[in-house]
Amino acid sequence: MRWRAIHLGGLCAWLAFAALAQQGHPLTGTWSGDWGPTVTQRNAVTLVLNWDGKNITGLMNPGPDSVPLAGVYLDVANWTVRIEADGKDAAGKPVHISAEGKLDDLGSYHRTLKGTWQHGTVKGDFKLTRD
Amino acid sequence: MRLSATTLLLIASPLMAQHAATYDGQRRITLKGAVTRIDWVNPEAFVFLNVRDAAGTVINWAVEVGNPLELERDGWKRTSVHTGDALTVEGIPARGAGAQALATSIVLDRTGQKIFAARAHAAAPARQPAPRWPDGQVRLGPPPGKKGYWGTAAADSLYDNSGGAIAMDREGLLRNIADAGRVAPFQPWAKALYEYRQRTLLKDDPLPRCLPPGGPRQFQTPNGFQFIEQRDLGRILVLLGGGDRNWRIIYTDGRPQGQADEVVRSYYGNSIGHWAKDTLVVDSIGFNERFWMSNGGLPHTEALHLIERFSRPDLNTLKYEVTVDDPRAYTRPWTGGWTIPWVPDQEIQEYFCEENAESTFSR
Repeated sequence: MRWRAIHLGGLCAWLAFAALAQQGHPLTGTWSGDWGPTVTQRNAVTLVLNWDGKNITGLMNPGPDSVPLAGVYLDVANWTVRIEADGKDAAGKPVHISAEGKLDDLGSYHRTLKGTWQHGTVKGDFKLTRD
Repeated sequence: MRLSATTLLLIASPLMAQHAATYDGQRRITLKGAVTRIDWVNPEAFVFLNVRDAAGTVINWAVEVGNPLELERDGWKRTSVHTGDALTVEGIPARGAGAQALATSIVLDRTGQKIFAARAHAAAPARQPAPRWPDGQVRLGPPPGKKGYWGTAAADSLYDNSGGAIAMDREGLLRNIADAGRVAPFQPWAKALYEYRQRTLLKDDPLPRCLPPGGPRQFQTPNGFQFIEQRDLGRILVLLGGGDRNWRIIYTDGRPQGQADEVVRSYYGNSIGHWAKDTLVVDSIGFNERFWMSNGGLPHTEALHLIERFSRPDLNTLKYEVTVDDPRAYTRPWTGGWTIPWVPDQEIQEYFCEENAESTFSR
């Protein structure tokens, strides 16, 4: 009985892990989450990242108001990521966006990227999860 | 019935070499208990024992005894041990706290007879010519009227031949992590990811989660494979004993390879083959990124392009060579390979990953 319980438990664990295997370049894919200066002031963010063999390219918030990423840099020594982009604020004025974060749970399909985010002069934190 | 465990330095053995990520080679264990169940499942059979520990608690241990086909060849049948038999098992415990062990010997207590010992490598069979079709083309399957399949790869994992031999176990774990840079001409991110997978003992490996072994890894599973040459249909089917009995199609009807950007991504890719004298050359693109292409955790991207070469220098040997071209993961194309022995007069046994105790228990 115990073995059967463990066996079923293991099967459930397997099912949970089955879709969680790491794939290809660690940043490739669609990442969604939010950033904000406080826990209540949050802004939805979607990043679509791609590795072309030399550079990581990407887009922030794909759609009519999408922002191409000026630079995405991965430091594989500690799995940290730096993101640079130039967007617009609510009034349509140019604003520089920068973020620095760290990849967590690298082996997971739904790995996370979290760290600090600066949108113009506003500083906050962010958390993104790979879809 | 008592349980005792001792810590010993493991001497490398063929048996342990296949299970290093699952079992802790630095420890040995002795289990004494009564058989509660026998799981005669391909590719690894298990015997279950109720073992009383030092505190008096009865724990049901899963003892792996090896591949049923090999056990039967060695004279040990499913009926060699019966439920209720008292056994003394010497073995290697699984990593972690699980009640699982890999047997190195089993003694039947009532007779004192050693009924199991870890299998040693068999002697190489006599060299015989490769079978051929009436038109002289080499056959990749059994000779007419015979049966058989291709068994376990001779190499431990895939690595760049130009880097020389690299010591690793059957699951592709490097003996020395410092050798990682010799395994393949990695891009920096790919090397870092490979080293991460190695350092974490392959814990994120998709294969034990029953995802298909795409790429060269399909020829590394312990369950073997078969080629079905459908010459009238212009294709060769590769039937895999591992990875949930998947199959792969290699088209040999002269069709062109598709455009990489238009091919639907899959585990086994889009494969086009042709014969160059006695060598089957297969060009494959269109891979997804959901698998590890080799034991040991070699990364790849959707840009993966494989050129595989299959030849059969004699009846009992398949030579497999693969050139890996993935400019997003590697700095240049590179080539590795291994030989695979023929398993005569046998069929691949039924195996489904989800039912395999190793997948569901120890991983």
